Amino acid sequence: MRLAVTIRSIVHRFETLREVLAKANPPKSGDDLAGVSARSAVERVAARAVLANVTLRQLRENPVVPYELDELTRMVEHTLDETAFAAVSELTVGQFREWLLEHETDGMKIRSVSAGLTPEMAAAVCKLMSNLDLMTVAAKCHVVVRANTTLGLPGRMSSRVQPNHPTDDVEGILYSMREGLAYGCGDAVIGVNPATDSAASTAEILSAIDAVLKKNGVPTQHCVLSHVTVQMKALDLGCPMDLMFQSLSGTELGNKAFGISLALMDEAWDKMKQRGSARGPNCMYFETGQGSALSSAAHHGADQVTLEARCYGFARRYQPFLVNTVIGFIGPEYLEDGPQITRAGLEDHFMGKLLGLPMGCDACFTYHARMGQDELESLKVLLGAAGCSYLMALPVGDDIMLNYQSTSYHDIPSVRRLLGKRPTPEFDAWMVERGIWDYERDRPGPAFGDAEAIQP
Amino acid sequence: MSRTRQLIDALREELGGAAPMPPVVPLARVPAPPARVFPRRHEGSRYARESAEHTTALLGIGHVGTRYATDVVLQFQAELAVAHAAVATELPDDWAEQNGLLGLHSRVRDHREFLLRPDLGRRLDAASLERLKAGARHGVDVQPILADGLSAVACMQSGIALLEAFTQACLARGLSVGTPVVARYARVWLEDEIGATVGAKVAAILLGERPGLGTGDGLSAYLVHAPRIGNTDGDRNMMSNIHARGTPPELAGERLALLARAMIDQKKSGVELDLSQLAHELGDAARRTHRAPQVRVRLVEAEP
Repeated sequence: MRLAVTIRSIVHRFETLREVLAKANPPKSGDDLAGVSARSAVERVAARAVLANVTLRQLRENPVVPYELDELTRMVEHTLDETAFAAVSELTVGQFREWLLEHETDGMKIRSVSAGLTPEMAAAVCKLMSNLDLMTVAAKCHVVVRANTTLGLPGRMSSRVQPNHPTDDVEGILYSMREGLAYGCGDAVIGVNPATDSAASTAEILSAIDAVLKKNGVPTQHCVLSHVTVQMKALDLGCPMDLMFQSLSGTELGNKAFGISLALMDEAWDKMKQRGSARGPNCMYFETGQGSALSSAAHHGADQVTLEARCYGFARRYQPFLVNTVIGFIGPEYLEDGPQITRAGLEDHFMGKLLGLPMGCDACFTYHARMGQDELESLKVLLGAAGCSYLMALPVGDDIMLNYQSTSYHDIPSVRRLLGKRPTPEFDAWMVERGIWDYERDRPGPAFGDAEAIQP
Repeated sequence: MSRTRQLIDALREELGGAAPMPPVVPLARVPAPPARVFPRRHEGSRYARESAEHTTALLGIGHVGTRYATDVVLQFQAELAVAHAAVATELPDDWAEQNGLLGLHSRVRDHREFLLRPDLGRRLDAASLERLKAGARHGVDVQPILADGLSAVACMQSGIALLEAFTQACLARGLSVGTPVVARYARVWLEDEIGATVGAKVAAILLGERPGLGTGDGLSAYLVHAPRIGNTDGDRNMMSNIHARGTPPELAGERLALLARAMIDQKKSGVELDLSQLAHELGDAARRTHRAPQVRVRLVEAEP
């Protein structure tokens, strides 16, 4: 494979496909930190020009982390759908981009090839796309999944209520959750990040949330985002658990730093299929985010977009109900400012949808990143327009435990109304019955925002 | 005229001709909307009052359409500004000298680089390394390090008080304490190089923590036994939220000294350190991920 291109009579050569993939990325502080980014804007275009002529088969043959070194690479190779792969294997990345953008290529056609794509292919085509390209293709991909509610239908946008509390005060969590429900949020999941990673507190929080949801007849799912081993112990304590959560990384080494492996996740999924309390076939919830592999020095010289795609390659094995990229959570050393965070959100959503996942995004920044509140609000609309399956929802977007800024209880109905979106059909019916939204007049109903109307 | 042109003209006429919008309807005087305010602990809606007993999440704030009331927007923006200001503030060059501390620098050259290059914030620059070798006491039990971290505001506000309390508490427990230093553009892991250079048994870095909305005055402390370059987070014990509304510096100093004593007695730190005997005395310092709640206050008040 010859990896070179000439721009204005200067020849740009690259040693490996991994280097081409990294240098084709738009600027990201995390790629600079890893020392893998392009040295100039011209070199970046050169890398893209080389990448445009690489075939999908060549990408399959050259994973960014070698087969011998990484169980995720091996799992993807062994489980790839050969029929789906054969349909597109001889296309170059440039041709694949055009095929995805063609009007004739609808969501069903994309779904037909999805299982034949490796993460590296999704990452490669992502690098040749502008933000609006990413949105155009992602909006075609409808990934519909089912637990107690049905997520991802066309015209729907869901949300996770995230009622975190710095000391896991259950009363405090429930107050926050009730208010979220009153704003029509929480149809994807009620998901709590616990301060204390113990089975007892996981079970306690789940049981308390379960009781309030049942009492009010709310059709949704619950989840406490402790470590997967802690949740398995909580299941043994006999608590309800609609979704099981875990953070994923894009390499075996990165996952080791998270305390997980393929074998452990297989075991967790098996247990959840038997013991989980939700009604549908999809029962897992994963979170990812660009930069997680580098932060544990587990990146193998690859760029953070490609490594993020590899998280999705891992996630799809478990037919999850939710996958969520926590875009700006780690900090400016990976995504420096508003443009980088915006771009990363659209990239991750696109790659996840292309690989067949029900992608949501935590559109967020930490207070040491250079992103303004207005930029963050714009990103929520971009994600909604791109067909993002769900966003987060917190009181004024402020996570009082994790100290970062995300989407608010007020933002979800605002974005839905702007874009003509509705929550999951099950939750929608509940919301109308409760008078939270009045669709006949397209405006908030009498119970909108009235948390006291949700029984404690 | 073509058929299409005729249809276009007819359509324009149907859509109002020269007046494409209906005439403006005069409006009676708009009444002032009911007051919807960012709640204080004992004000605002009933839900705001009740929930404030259990959480600092901003609840019961009402809505205007689907958006926030003006007062909520202003308070929110003020909280955001406080957090951003805390991150942007830098330690003055002469701050170390004014406070009688040995001043050190990481390898970071400016504030932007500090945010983008955590690796450089974990190592001393050459001049600082020399200064430390020449000017600091060697072979001590505990090396205290004050640092800016992600909030120089917190460092300047309560850093000296915490350093004093920690030093006195260590001495009271029979531990020798190294020359107090203050490090600029410092990340947590900088304690490894500083502690190793002076041959301390335990290195303790006290630094400004990542600000939250409306806060920027919290300090965190990270202690490590046998400091050396290459230690990871699992080798450390930490305590966060050190400020007047969380754990006050005096109490934090006591607990951190107890933690240092335990590390020296057990010759280890981090996940392997057994704190079960000390849990009660240590309070917050015995946990690894805990963060105490902040109290929410109004930041914007109109002049009477």
